Amino acid sequence: MAKKQKGIFSKYDRNPKLFDELYDQQGEVNDVYKKLFKLYGQHSIEDYAELNGRAKASFFNQGITFRVYSDEKTNEKIFPFDLFPRIIGADEWAELERGVVQRCKALNAFLWDLYHEQNILKDGVVPMELVGSSENFLEQMVGFDPPGGIYNHISGTDLIRHTDGKFYVLEDNIRCPSGVSYVLSNRTALKRALFGVFNHYNAHTVTNYAENLLDLLETVKPAGVDKPNTVVLTPGMYNSAFYEHSYLAKTMGVELVEGRDLYVENDFVYMKTIHGRERVDIIYRRIDDQFLDPLEFRKDSTLGVPGLFAAYRKGNVTLANAPGTGVADDKAVYTYMPEIIQYYFGEEAILHNVPTYHCSRKEELEYVLDNIAELVIKPVDEAGGYGISIGNTLSPEEIEEVRNTVRAHPRKYVAQPIMSLSVHPTYIEETQSFEQRHVDLRSFALMGSDREFVLKGGLTRVALRRGNLIVNSSQGGGSKDTWVLKKSKKNAG
Amino acid sequence: MLARAADNLYWMGRYIERTEHMARFMNVNYFSSLDAPNAKSQKRNFVLRSILFMAGDPVGKNDKVNEQEVLYKVGLDQDFPSSVCNSICYARENAHSARDLISTELYESVNKFYHFATSYPKERFVKTGLFEYTSQVTELTAILRAKIRGTLLHDEIYAIIMMGVNMERALQITRMINAKYNDARLAPGSYGDRFRNSYEWTTLLKCAESYDMMRRLYKKSPSSLSTLEFLILNPRCPRSVMNALNQIYRHVVSLNPMKIDDKDSTAFLVGKIRSEYQFKCIEDIEGDIQGYIDHIFSELTEIGSRMEKEFFHY
Repeated sequence: MAKKQKGIFSKYDRNPKLFDELYDQQGEVNDVYKKLFKLYGQHSIEDYAELNGRAKASFFNQGITFRVYSDEKTNEKIFPFDLFPRIIGADEWAELERGVVQRCKALNAFLWDLYHEQNILKDGVVPMELVGSSENFLEQMVGFDPPGGIYNHISGTDLIRHTDGKFYVLEDNIRCPSGVSYVLSNRTALKRALFGVFNHYNAHTVTNYAENLLDLLETVKPAGVDKPNTVVLTPGMYNSAFYEHSYLAKTMGVELVEGRDLYVENDFVYMKTIHGRERVDIIYRRIDDQFLDPLEFRKDSTLGVPGLFAAYRKGNVTLANAPGTGVADDKAVYTYMPEIIQYYFGEEAILHNVPTYHCSRKEELEYVLDNIAELVIKPVDEAGGYGISIGNTLSPEEIEEVRNTVRAHPRKYVAQPIMSLSVHPTYIEETQSFEQRHVDLRSFALMGSDREFVLKGGLTRVALRRGNLIVNSSQGGGSKDTWVLKKSKKNAG
Repeated sequence: MLARAADNLYWMGRYIERTEHMARFMNVNYFSSLDAPNAKSQKRNFVLRSILFMAGDPVGKNDKVNEQEVLYKVGLDQDFPSSVCNSICYARENAHSARDLISTELYESVNKFYHFATSYPKERFVKTGLFEYTSQVTELTAILRAKIRGTLLHDEIYAIIMMGVNMERALQITRMINAKYNDARLAPGSYGDRFRNSYEWTTLLKCAESYDMMRRLYKKSPSSLSTLEFLILNPRCPRSVMNALNQIYRHVVSLNPMKIDDKDSTAFLVGKIRSEYQFKCIEDIEGDIQGYIDHIFSELTEIGSRMEKEFFHY
């Protein structure tokens, strides 16, 4: 290591095989982190432990918690939050942002095509059976033009940085992506605990999400409506994302409704207020397609509103996201994203896809068969992680077995390289020290009929167990505040 | 504003207010009885029975009551629906459900309050914590009221919450009057008209946090009549039934000023009832205090169900 470390980083154990966000390849602290590294380095570990405790109390008191069901009582837990922020430089972010927008627009074009002419299928760019077999394809949406031509108003794109230092898209989420409220509460908590550090950087604000959300939703209001009445539709206070639903409703200044607060009459949607009924024009719904309307989808749904879909088809109410977006964000479609972007826009994909080898193609099959140990082999038609083989966990016999299976049915398999998530210094309570932990990044993009918005920030999720690659909160994941820097002198090293 | 959300906020207001009155009733009764001037008022059983009566769980005159059990039950027991702790849980549950409508500051205070109450250790409470816990609860409710008044928009959301707060205040004050009226008959004073001069009237005023101001106004020891006049009819006493009715009226009218003349509206009913209190003399009710207490209860209940029908019914 180039220079001697002191203070809270003195015991930091850097594994050079992993891509560490804090350091460059030579083991020097990256320019964007230099000041932060110095500032944090001035704290003793005791100071830091105290600040960490204070930040936790702040989350607890604000009620930013999720419920854990144990034997007798329900307990509330806070989402683990790490006080050492992740920083993304201005140039790198600009590239990410362009890439995210490109992807969202391509997904929207793809959805429009799927529910209209299906040219991309006819031209053989995306296999017909991929869509035909998807249970997320909604027959009810065929031939329908959503207001403003927008399907995925709200998108969450999951990104990782591989050991090669490049960002890759891991997953697109265009159903009901969640997590944006944690971006905001993480920022609040960090400001409360360590306000001083903000003086040394020019980071973009993240508080403008809600105003942009409302603004963009209003661009897709139903025809003939002047001042639209927008609501957020939640499954209710026992939903794990209820905090986020209430947060968004509050910051947009709109009503948070449950299915039972709404009803449909003559294909118009109304909410029940203290002064009688009030028409609803735009619904940011946080319940899944299948629960939206018991008359149209799952009949046992008590979360939805009978007749809602008919009102939507009549163009009397806008639903965001549009029903039926799930067909475009599943794993099978994901592998075709570079082709989809090329097909509609004639552009190269700006963000890397994790490369996918289709065993149905002869030359790719050869590569897969020779390199199983370095690949993840996945069946095309199975969901939920079934039938996946991870090459570096297999014995030579098992590799031979997989090789035979793939050779026998090449059309049924695809393969991807084993991706490694980058790591970031993270405070670990048990050891009272900073350790490397794997992180990903969820970005949040909005699309209206006339413009797009990407939140300059994101949710950096942290896998808190050593060596673990799974960052989901249900698996013990935490998160970090994420700073996107402005282009300014102050931010230079 | 959604009818369901209004219902949640109304009940949030009611539970916050209920919490405070229950906690203070326990606190004042228990501690003022320790050196009460007559033997009856000093008796543990007498006080504990009064607390149970107030909590809506009365026991017979001869039933044995255990001090630690009663205090735990009414203060902290989450299996007893009317415990102070449960009122806080319900207040928070209602606030949670309408969380998007209230300020972050108010929610955070409700939430802290909830965590304080639910994590208070039982051992400490029954041995030494009664004073600390109940005092803390009354302090925290004062903070909540300040957050309601000081951080919310004074619009219909505020009006609905204040309707809940004042409905509950009128009810709880009447319940206290009821409880202490019973106690005064059981524990009469030592001179003159012994019912009129019972020490229990002083306790009642202290339970309503109105003792000092009542002394300031009347410049005499509290008697049955002056106490009842102060707590029921005086519009300037912030804890009086009359004051609460005035506030309810103001807030209901603000929801829909056009409805004052509509005979079926809540505003009309509250207006009618408060005008009755406005021109009432305390001497009129002296002959039948219990009858009048019951009358207040039934009128408050009527207002409550009218509100429900007009605003929360869906």
